[in-house]
Amino acid sequence: MEGVNTWDIVHVPSKPRFPPDNQPTVNVFASAIDPKFANSIVRRLNQIAPLENLRHVKRVRKERLEGGKFQLSVILCLARDGEDHLKTIPADMLELTSSYQLSAFITKVCGFPASSKEEWEEQCKLWPTSYHPPTYNIDGITGFSEEDAQSVCSFTRFALQLAAISGVAQVHNAAVIVDPSVKQVIASACDDVFYGQTLTEKTNSHNSCHEQISHHHIDLNGAATQTAPCSNGKPNELKHHYGSVSCLHPWQWSKQQAYTNSCYWHPLRHAAIAAIEYSAARDRQLYPGPAQDIDGFSEMEQVQSSLEDSPLKRQKTAKDKDDARHEEDDNDRTLKLPRPYLCTGYDIYLVWEPCVMCAMALVHQRVRRIFFVFPNTHAGALGSVHRLQGEESLNHHYAVFRVMVPEESLAIVK
Amino acid sequence: MESPSRSSSSDDYRYMQLAIEQAKLALETLEVPVGCVIVESGEVIATGRNRTTETRNATRHAEMEAIDDLLHRWQKNGLTPPQVAEKFSKCNLYVTCEPCIMCAGALSILGFNEVYFGCGNDKFGGCGSVLSLHSSSSQTPQSGSSQSPPKRGFKCTGGIMASEAVALFRSFYEQGNPNAPKPHRPVLHQLSQ
Ligand SMILES: [Zn+2]
Ligand SMILES: [Zn+2]
Repeated sequence: MEGVNTWDIVHVPSKPRFPPDNQPTVNVFASAIDPKFANSIVRRLNQIAPLENLRHVKRVRKERLEGGKFQLSVILCLARDGEDHLKTIPADMLELTSSYQLSAFITKVCGFPASSKEEWEEQCKLWPTSYHPPTYNIDGITGFSEEDAQSVCSFTRFALQLAAISGVAQVHNAAVIVDPSVKQVIASACDDVFYGQTLTEKTNSHNSCHEQISHHHIDLNGAATQTAPCSNGKPNELKHHYGSVSCLHPWQWSKQQAYTNSCYWHPLRHAAIAAIEYSAARDRQLYPGPAQDIDGFSEMEQVQSSLEDSPLKRQKTAKDKDDARHEEDDNDRTLKLPRPYLCTGYDIYLVWEPCVMCAMALVHQRVRRIFFVFPNTHAGALGSVHRLQGEESLNHHYAVFRVMVPEESLAIVK
Repeated sequence: MESPSRSSSSDDYRYMQLAIEQAKLALETLEVPVGCVIVESGEVIATGRNRTTETRNATRHAEMEAIDDLLHRWQKNGLTPPQVAEKFSKCNLYVTCEPCIMCAGALSILGFNEVYFGCGNDKFGGCGSVLSLHSSSSQTPQSGSSQSPPKRGFKCTGGIMASEAVALFRSFYEQGNPNAPKPHRPVLHQLSQ
């Protein structure tokens, strides 16, 4: 892992980043047109060849020629892969080109909508596109305030220390679920796939929920004075054998031989899964009694498409409720903590990028933001192998950030 | 999704019927009706139903419930991880709805032999709908570390008693949320038309 000198929080976008000047392109047939026919040509084109998957691409391009004149060009249709011959233009298109005496040529347009102004400017050098800055705004996508950045660093450090402490013999992943509105740890856990020692994390979710990390001293320069709440011993070395980090090697569990009956193990208890369970247990403890309006619709929505024609669009009302409750949360939190809905509004801090099972579990549990330190090139599901934050069909989307930790701050756990 | 290479046997329907029974139990307890059974050598060795509402843990899907039950029992009987892996490699899962991405990931981690499901899951499905975690070849890591075992896929067959599974979802939607204020539902219903 290459060293960095300062803390940094990098947004991991929902689609892969390409160098702005090297974005994927597709070939299209285009033609110069006479401005006075522009409207009727475009109208006809939208009927016979709508640009279904290229909605970000403008149909018409206006270029300034030498001498102050303008030239209009229009996209006729997609050119199929490997077919750059004009003979492949469909028949109804040929009809149009001949009636307006158009001469088609092949050109490139960018295949994906721009995700930044910089990308957009590069796209327009090929063919004009439209650019819509993200309409949703989860805190942090457009940058962090100094206070928020410090809080992110502090919780990241907490997760790193937890991983180091738990890894007495082996390195583990650690997960810390946080309510950012009150800077409070809701639950924390390490990989529980194998453990023989008594693990304090197993039952302390109730304690840790009252533990406010905000009063720990936060030092962005890396000279940490913060102590992890569950620490009894010194942080151990984060060794360079990551075979026991569950999300990195989810299939490794089956190789473990020598475990006695007293040793508990569970192949699926990755840190994030365990932390979700502790936060649910905390929820049941702090807010006992029958569910008032939790209805498990996270799974309910999974079948929405197969029930498209169902007259009851229930997930809509559920979502409205969700939003309403969240607002209520913000107003009311200091007086009396309302019962949370799953992990709505919460963040999770992980040392390693989660595997696909854990990443989807965090979708189900409605986590708002995920922060991780190390990418998981082997099995990571937030950009490395899969990219769940970009799977549009999912009913919930979190924002994902990688926290760059300076070498000297890693040294406190190393 | 792999196209079924053989016609579903009557056994498949028998097992799926048991999974449907589990889904009905979930429905009775006001949970999203998904159920499953795990079969080893022709014998049903575990059942599970969705318990996300009761546990306030949205990861407690039917598959996870059945898996945890098995792991608990096998561990109590003193089985070691390699022995448990060996057991899972002989297990087939019958579940009323296509496993979600999380559960498909779990089934792959555990090394299940075969998975049969009822209706597809266009929004969350991990066995062909959104991701294809059952086909091990679809996601080979670029530079795998040598000590790690290869990724494992599993054979997957969908569409078994799908209409029964969908009918349960339908009755779940139609019975409505018993905790929601009653007057609102018909009004919203009309507005959304
Ligand atoms: Zn994981
Ligand atoms: Zn699932």
